[in-house]
Amino acid sequence: MLDLRYPIGWFFALIGMIVAGMGIFAPEARAMLTAANVNLYCGLFMIAFGAFFLLLAWRADRSRT
Amino acid sequence: MILAPVDYLILALYFALVLGIGWKLRRKIATSGDFLTAGHSVPVWITSLAFLAANLGAQELVGMSGNGAKYGIMTAHFYWVGAVPAMLFVGIFMMPFYYGSRARSVPEYLKMRFDEKTRALNACSFAVMTIFSSGISMFALGLLLQLLFGWSFTGSVLCSAAIVLAYTFLGGLTSAIYNEVLQFFLIVVGFSPLAIMAVARAGGWKGMASHVPAVMTHSWKYMGNPSENPMGIEAFGLIAGLGFVLSFGYWCTDFLVVQRAMAADSMSAAQRTPVLAAIPKMMMPFIVIVPGIAAIALMNMHIGYALPMRNGEPDYNQAITTLMAQFYPAGMLGVGLTGLMASFMSGMAGNVTAFNTVWTYDIYQSYIRPGAPDSHYLKVGRITTVVGVALSILAAYVAGRYNSLNDLLQLVFSFVNAPLFATFLLGMFWKRATGDGAFCGLLAGTAAAALTHGLTLAEGKGGWIANLHTFSSSMAQNFWISIFAWSVCFLSTIAISLFTRPRAESELTGLVYGLTKMPRNEGAPWYKRPVPLAIGVAALLIVLNFWFA
Repeated sequence: MLDLRYPIGWFFALIGMIVAGMGIFAPEARAMLTAANVNLYCGLFMIAFGAFFLLLAWRADRSRT
Repeated sequence: MILAPVDYLILALYFALVLGIGWKLRRKIATSGDFLTAGHSVPVWITSLAFLAANLGAQELVGMSGNGAKYGIMTAHFYWVGAVPAMLFVGIFMMPFYYGSRARSVPEYLKMRFDEKTRALNACSFAVMTIFSSGISMFALGLLLQLLFGWSFTGSVLCSAAIVLAYTFLGGLTSAIYNEVLQFFLIVVGFSPLAIMAVARAGGWKGMASHVPAVMTHSWKYMGNPSENPMGIEAFGLIAGLGFVLSFGYWCTDFLVVQRAMAADSMSAAQRTPVLAAIPKMMMPFIVIVPGIAAIALMNMHIGYALPMRNGEPDYNQAITTLMAQFYPAGMLGVGLTGLMASFMSGMAGNVTAFNTVWTYDIYQSYIRPGAPDSHYLKVGRITTVVGVALSILAAYVAGRYNSLNDLLQLVFSFVNAPLFATFLLGMFWKRATGDGAFCGLLAGTAAAALTHGLTLAEGKGGWIANLHTFSSSMAQNFWISIFAWSVCFLSTIAISLFTRPRAESELTGLVYGLTKMPRNEGAPWYKRPVPLAIGVAALLIVLNFWFA
């Protein structure tokens, strides 16, 4: 049976990298009402979120074997 | 709103992922049970998030943030009063009968407990309602995407429906449930930064509160008198109408959500599914309602943000999308949009899979062609998926074309739904209740709902027989209609049951309280036992209510 934590982890890590990449390489892309680099912070958070799921899935795999 | 290539890339990755999950799960499907009930094999963390996400459609996201902008934090009553208590109740008290009876659907439970006609009534009304609510939310999404990005209505409706069809066709209920979990996380990740930034920009909770009327930041303080709050309701109508009748009627009897819990891999997991789902459910107001309040605060601060106007008043339903446009740059905007699409798809897949099971098992197998081999029902289940999606698309166009028909249908659905919980309550907890009693009670309750609507008036609606009472808002009228419908159904079911012959107790084992061994989970740690978990959730709920009173 598919362990759903893997696709969730990979997906958020990937879009986190894309969004954080936007924050790093196109830092001038800003929205009207905020001065913060939204892409960078949100991207980093998504990478961490994805990594957390991958870690959980990996640990479950290891305890199974 | 203009999207950059990176936004489309994120949306495309999401589409690829949901299809990939469906593709990966296709080999798991061998029987109709695998396809329609997920073979009772889904882990509890997945069923509980799916339980929540199946109900979290795009309409809810957009509508509840709009209500937040219109009414303020008292909109949270739809979560804290109108959902969480019922979710705890269905988990602790009703799941032993749903899951324990081994029924494959809610109408099938009614057949086991009462009789064929009660099941037929429930199955048919549920099937029709599911298709129409799926169509109505599809229509809302098409309209929203057209408004935001100028996408073609037909194009976005057909494209999103095709994707939902593909992954539910491939992997059945399991695929729908797995994708709902992914969709839930996308909604949270896509929308919570918006809530945080909007509140921060408005000066935190205190700053926000100083820029909006006081009634918008208190959920209970102005509930004493309907004239004091913008919803026009009072505490009794709210608690009895919304908190008891409507909310228990939905969360405890609607197969769309109950189906997710029934897919769990054990009785304890089925019981914990709604209880665990209640935790994120009570936090949802912070993601959907608070941004709506922040939108009003930002508007009153005159810093260049304003809700668009429509018919002379602010278009509250655009709160969340206009905030997105103002706070998210290209990149994050794609994630937010994907969250919106995800919420729409999870809602639609929920409708389609529930319709599938009810049609295949409760209508086709029961009345059209009983006794065929299982492979036949698997095939019918797959075909029903296609037909269900096609009917929803049709319903979306009907809903768009005939606005008044749409309103009428929603009104009729509310009449049919209002008395339902009385039937289930008596069925599960009073062994003397009979099939004739349940059937007549349901009809009487629906009639009482229609009659209440015909005799009262609110905001120019109702009163088509005579006007005996005028409510301060149609929300209040709605709550009172359901209170009357429930009471009439409850009393007439009891009365008729007492005059009809009860079923033998031996036939009711596992279906009624007192004749069923209630599950005990001694030995398991507290966080794996439904009751301690539910007590914890209830405590948290009370704290939240006091905090934002």
